[in-house]
Amino acid sequence: MNKLQINGLSKTYANGVKALANVSIEIENGMFGLLGPNGAGKSSLMRTLATLQQADSGSALLNDIDIYNQPSELRKVLGYLPQEFGVYPKITAAQLLDHLCILKGVSKNKERKELVDYLLNKVNLYDKRNKSVKGFSGGMKQRIGIAQALIGNPKLIIVDEPTAGLDPGERNRFYNLLADVGNEVIVILSTHIVDDVRELCTKMAIMNLGEIIYHGAPQDAISDLRGRVFQKAVAREELPQYAENYTIISNKMVGGQPLIHVLSETTLNNGFEEVTPNLEDVFFSKINTSAVLV
Amino acid sequence: MFKIFLFSEIRYALRQPMVYIFFILFTLLVFGATVSDNIQIGGAVGNVYRNAPHVITIFTTVLTIFGLLMATAFFNNAALRDFNNGFNEILFSTPINKSGFFFGRFFGALFLATIPLLGVFLGVLMGSVLGPAFGWVDADRFGSFYLATFINNYCLFILPNMFIAGSIIFSLSAKWKNTVVAFVGALIIIIGYIVSGELMSDLESETIAAISDVFGIRTYSLYAKYFTPIEKNTLSPTFSGLLLINRIIWILVAVVILAISYLSFSFQEKNKRAKKDKKDKVEKSITFKLPEFQASFNSATNWVQFKSFFRINFFSITKSVTFKILFLFAAILLITDLVGGFEYFGLQAYPLTYKMIDLIAGSTIFILIILVFFSGELIWRDRESKINEVIDATSHATFISLSAKALSLISITTLIHFSFVIVGILYQLGNGFTRIEISLYILDFIYFNLPNYIVWSGIMVLIQTLVNNKYLGYFASILIIFIWSLIMLALDIQSNMLAIGGGPNVTYSDMNGFGPAEMGAHWFNAYWILIALICLLLAGALYNRGAGSSILNRIKHINQQLTKGYASAIWATLAVWLILAGFVFYNTQILNTYKTSDQSEDIQVEYEKTYKKYEKVPLPKIIDAKYFIDIYPYKRDVFVKANFKINNQTNQAIDSIHFNIDSKWQPEFDIPNATLVLEDKKLEYLIYKLDVPMRPGDTIDIEIKTKYITKGFKNNTGNTNIVNNGTFLNNFEILPSLGYNKSKELNDKNDRKKHGLKPKDRMPELQQECSCSCMANYLTDGSSDFLNVETIISTSPDQIAIAPGSLMKEWKENGRNYFHYKVDHPSQNFFSFTSATFEVAKRKWNDVDIEVYYDEKHKVNVDMMLDAVERSLAYYTKEFGPYYHNQCRIIEFPRYASFAQAFPGTMPYSESMGFIINLEDENDNNIIDAVIAHEIAHQWWAHQVIGAEMQGSTMMSESFAEYSSLMTMKSIAKTPMKMRDFIKYDHNRYLRGRGSETEKELPLYKVENQMYIHYGKGSVILYALQDYIGENKVNTAMRAFLEEYRYEKPPYPTSLDFLKYLEPQVPDSLTYLINDWFKEITLYDNRVKRANYSLQDNGKYLVSMDVESYKIKADTIGNETKVDMNDWIDIGVFADSDEEELMFQKRVKINQPQMTFTFEVDTIPAKAAIDPRMLLIDRVYDDNTKSLSLNE
Repeated sequence: MNKLQINGLSKTYANGVKALANVSIEIENGMFGLLGPNGAGKSSLMRTLATLQQADSGSALLNDIDIYNQPSELRKVLGYLPQEFGVYPKITAAQLLDHLCILKGVSKNKERKELVDYLLNKVNLYDKRNKSVKGFSGGMKQRIGIAQALIGNPKLIIVDEPTAGLDPGERNRFYNLLADVGNEVIVILSTHIVDDVRELCTKMAIMNLGEIIYHGAPQDAISDLRGRVFQKAVAREELPQYAENYTIISNKMVGGQPLIHVLSETTLNNGFEEVTPNLEDVFFSKINTSAVLV
Repeated sequence: MFKIFLFSEIRYALRQPMVYIFFILFTLLVFGATVSDNIQIGGAVGNVYRNAPHVITIFTTVLTIFGLLMATAFFNNAALRDFNNGFNEILFSTPINKSGFFFGRFFGALFLATIPLLGVFLGVLMGSVLGPAFGWVDADRFGSFYLATFINNYCLFILPNMFIAGSIIFSLSAKWKNTVVAFVGALIIIIGYIVSGELMSDLESETIAAISDVFGIRTYSLYAKYFTPIEKNTLSPTFSGLLLINRIIWILVAVVILAISYLSFSFQEKNKRAKKDKKDKVEKSITFKLPEFQASFNSATNWVQFKSFFRINFFSITKSVTFKILFLFAAILLITDLVGGFEYFGLQAYPLTYKMIDLIAGSTIFILIILVFFSGELIWRDRESKINEVIDATSHATFISLSAKALSLISITTLIHFSFVIVGILYQLGNGFTRIEISLYILDFIYFNLPNYIVWSGIMVLIQTLVNNKYLGYFASILIIFIWSLIMLALDIQSNMLAIGGGPNVTYSDMNGFGPAEMGAHWFNAYWILIALICLLLAGALYNRGAGSSILNRIKHINQQLTKGYASAIWATLAVWLILAGFVFYNTQILNTYKTSDQSEDIQVEYEKTYKKYEKVPLPKIIDAKYFIDIYPYKRDVFVKANFKINNQTNQAIDSIHFNIDSKWQPEFDIPNATLVLEDKKLEYLIYKLDVPMRPGDTIDIEIKTKYITKGFKNNTGNTNIVNNGTFLNNFEILPSLGYNKSKELNDKNDRKKHGLKPKDRMPELQQECSCSCMANYLTDGSSDFLNVETIISTSPDQIAIAPGSLMKEWKENGRNYFHYKVDHPSQNFFSFTSATFEVAKRKWNDVDIEVYYDEKHKVNVDMMLDAVERSLAYYTKEFGPYYHNQCRIIEFPRYASFAQAFPGTMPYSESMGFIINLEDENDNNIIDAVIAHEIAHQWWAHQVIGAEMQGSTMMSESFAEYSSLMTMKSIAKTPMKMRDFIKYDHNRYLRGRGSETEKELPLYKVENQMYIHYGKGSVILYALQDYIGENKVNTAMRAFLEEYRYEKPPYPTSLDFLKYLEPQVPDSLTYLINDWFKEITLYDNRVKRANYSLQDNGKYLVSMDVESYKIKADTIGNETKVDMNDWIDIGVFADSDEEELMFQKRVKINQPQMTFTFEVDTIPAKAAIDPRMLLIDRVYDDNTKSLSLNE
């Protein structure tokens, strides 16, 4: 069982933006979802865990590896797919993966060849192995990115917004891949797509403005809200009024009319109906409690 | 619409720092050049003001080349900003019009690109105000400013050059939407400029070069080629002549390019080419299994990672289009160089391997630029490909990836270098030259190029790592390449330990291999390679791994990046480097010291201030000399013992003897009954006081011992006169000189003024009556007259040692070769001592042994040399009188110097001048004949008669020798026009030389050892004189003069003494020539204005030509006045347009500025000419001939 302990990580950028504010969390094997709106500090956290960024204070330990003082030890057991994954020009998919295999310590030629073929097949790109990666579509590139994150038996896999730009089929394939390895190792998946977390993760955290505002199992969070979420279709002009009287956690258009979800400790009538809360409600209720109208 | 884009472009750029940075940079550069003594571009020396129009123009033209880089930035930016910001689709879908956008942007950028160059003007203006105000430069080094200088420079160079460069770059950017292409465009312009420059290396093709020069720089230099100081101080470039033609041509080219670009410019995006995917072959189904493996990280992994990084980086360069283009251009440049060949007075040298190496070394700067570019590309590649986070998060040592990048860079340079080597070898083979020294190519690369590339790769990788922006990194790299050496110069630091990649200069010689600097160069290489390694190690520790953080942050967190092993590697390397640095420092600064230019200037000043008072102390003369010289060529040590008889020839008692010494030679004196009363080690001056003063007529024997011991290695090349094979020394160098040495004084008048010294006469004034001022000749400066000399010289057993005189005896002793030489006739005490492994070619002419001592590799021209010696001896003995030595020797010495020199009967001759020149084509000018004839003529003119230490004396040695040489050439010239091919180089030498005169030009009879006068003008005038009055008349005068003074005791003759012999030989009708040519500075301005011919009834052709002719007198700084003319000048007609056959010529009296001549010729004439054989000095000779047109 691997264990990642994060203790009091803080990071403030030179321009004053607080990216991480005393983040502490403990993560064990399995898929861990990191939810948060854009700019919440997810990527900062992941980059910090991937040894690519220095925190101002705090520490992180993977098993007995101290990420800050032994970055190269951590890198030996790390698989990382950053938010933006680019490729070199004028190089084929197989060559790129081969190079990355070498960097991840797969030194024997034969093993490497097999591994590259295996991974390419896994991400369904074996046919295109001798094509220039630069010419791949966004989805194909992303699949190469996933393949490289799996190289070399990592104990910690960090994937930052991996499904952006993937079509639904590719997305499923990707999740299957992650699920394959997810039991044995820690997989941290950051996303702003709530469904991803619900489908995949046993544990999750929600971040906003650099802070962890929720940490636990998705199901627990949902259960927490049971009986407290109500919805109603309202007229556009009435929105401000509802906002004043209720705690609106979300507001989206359905059939051309705003449909609001409201958090309430007491049962609401006057047109509201109770709904089974979903993770999205959890997400919005956590980050949007001040009922700002969107 | 145009205005909107124009102004928005300008406003945008003015809010960016770039334009200001460039402007300030240029201002400072020019300001520095204007007020600093050390930085000298522009040629503001001597009488030329620091702010002369010519100097400003040179600044402007040269800096427009750098301006090109800024133009690239501005124009590329203007064309691409919207595309780079992804704004194009928004902008181009708005209703803007194409011409407004296109030209608005273009002219906006054009305006901006010219702004920084205005810094040139501001820099000069600031310099001329602040320089004198702060006392950096004397106020009288500045003259007036002329408005025309600024306006014309702006309109002739700045604006057109930016327009031309801009149109090319803007068009390329607009077309390809790619910054790299724009930079390649800039490079093409520079290449074009360089290629056109290759054309200018010869006199013949100057005009083509001037027209094809895209910047007009060489057009201007051709225009100002013969400018005198006064012209440089007053004339601004004008809209006329070749300059105007050049500008019009290139502006038209630019307009056409811009028009084409405009017509093909479109707002719509081109359909991107979509390559059709080839059908993937249906593959057999393969089963994939996850291999069992364990990721491992150990030293083997490091190695595999290094290889993989190297492969990825190296191929990324070789596959890139930029590399291919750069490579191609470097090759084209080299080939252009090669096609130009190795020109030497219209002749070609054989393509020796060392010539190829020198040429390839010329590409170094180009290779450095390639390094700059790709260092940025490689370091920023991961980030630009957005794969950096993945790579950075893998477990590899940063050092591994950086050193793989550095090795990729080094490999690229190796690749380029060896491609050049192959080009060189092909060129050698193509020229039928088969002595190809592959090992020399390889060693030269390993010893001197590879280390340089390693150093720069390391440094650039570090720069790109430290700087957080690729372009800033480029800028810093370029700045270091170009500015570093200037800074060192300004700070008067000459240690190669601080000159990046520096070390002693190594010149390869066929005779002596890599020579004395080789050892030092290796140590310096080791020193610099370690610095490169340290740079890489530091880069490895400070590399921005992961998210960008500032350099300060990285330094703060360096401990987290450093493993223990890595830190100790850094410390260990640093320790080794320190030891090495200590060793190099010990050798170059302590064991072997040197003086920087400022230090030696100070010493010169102090020497003069302290000891000038002894200038006139009475000194004895050496009347008999015996030299004992032991040369140890392989240790590079020399031991000297000289026994002199010195005699008091003054009419007063001499109580002390003054010596000027060279402490490197560690002199020891044995002077009987004398005490050392002054020993100044710093200024190298000694005084021995005689216990018993020498009365007039007294003689005493003294002995002086010196030795030169080579220790370790030096900061610079080291002594190139004492070498393994080809030692060449003379007596002045190895022995102390008697008395105060005037030649040690500071010469430059501005430097003298700065140090508070009075202006110095270069030479004593020419005097009519000079019995007491003529007691010293200019060669031995009073220390001796004609005397008997014997030499016993020894060397290693495989070498021959030679001194002037007949070989009396030769023997072996202690395993060494000994030779005893004795001069056959009392001679000047000017002796050479040489030692090398020689082949000897001998021939007997009358009673004289003609001998050529040469290196075994250089026998090709030896027979021709023997012929030349024989021909010269024959002509001179017949025309001037007997030869007094029993031998006449030519001795080859290594190419560290490029000259030939005449000692009594013995003439050392550099390997680079005659031994390797291709003389297979008999029609070419035979420069070897000329040089040999010149040196042999010195056996009469300098060794039999020599002028007093006074103005005009070098005329009787150098001009006479040059004249004698021309006469032997003339005796074998097949046509009269042949001599013009030769003499035009002398014209050019004179006219160019007077333009760079730093003090004052003097008439020939008062020449002050000025080479352009005594060689250039002297030969032109004496050659013309023999044409006007007859060869035998000139020779008669020279012979009679020689007969009076030959080997005579002082007083020595002056140029006035010679003129006394010349005047009777000149017919009355031509007496004006003595005045015009010898005693004044006279130029002619001749041209044919109109020339045509018509067929006569008698079958002959009637030629009619209008000529224009002016005679001009110039003063010492080049002020000219036209004077009345009543002179004889040739007119003539050529039968062919190549001006080879002069079918008709006639000497006519010219007494009007405009005159018309008509005459009949028998066959069809092609060209008419005034002064067809180029006898007169005319700054523009081209217009002296004109094609004849047929009059119907």
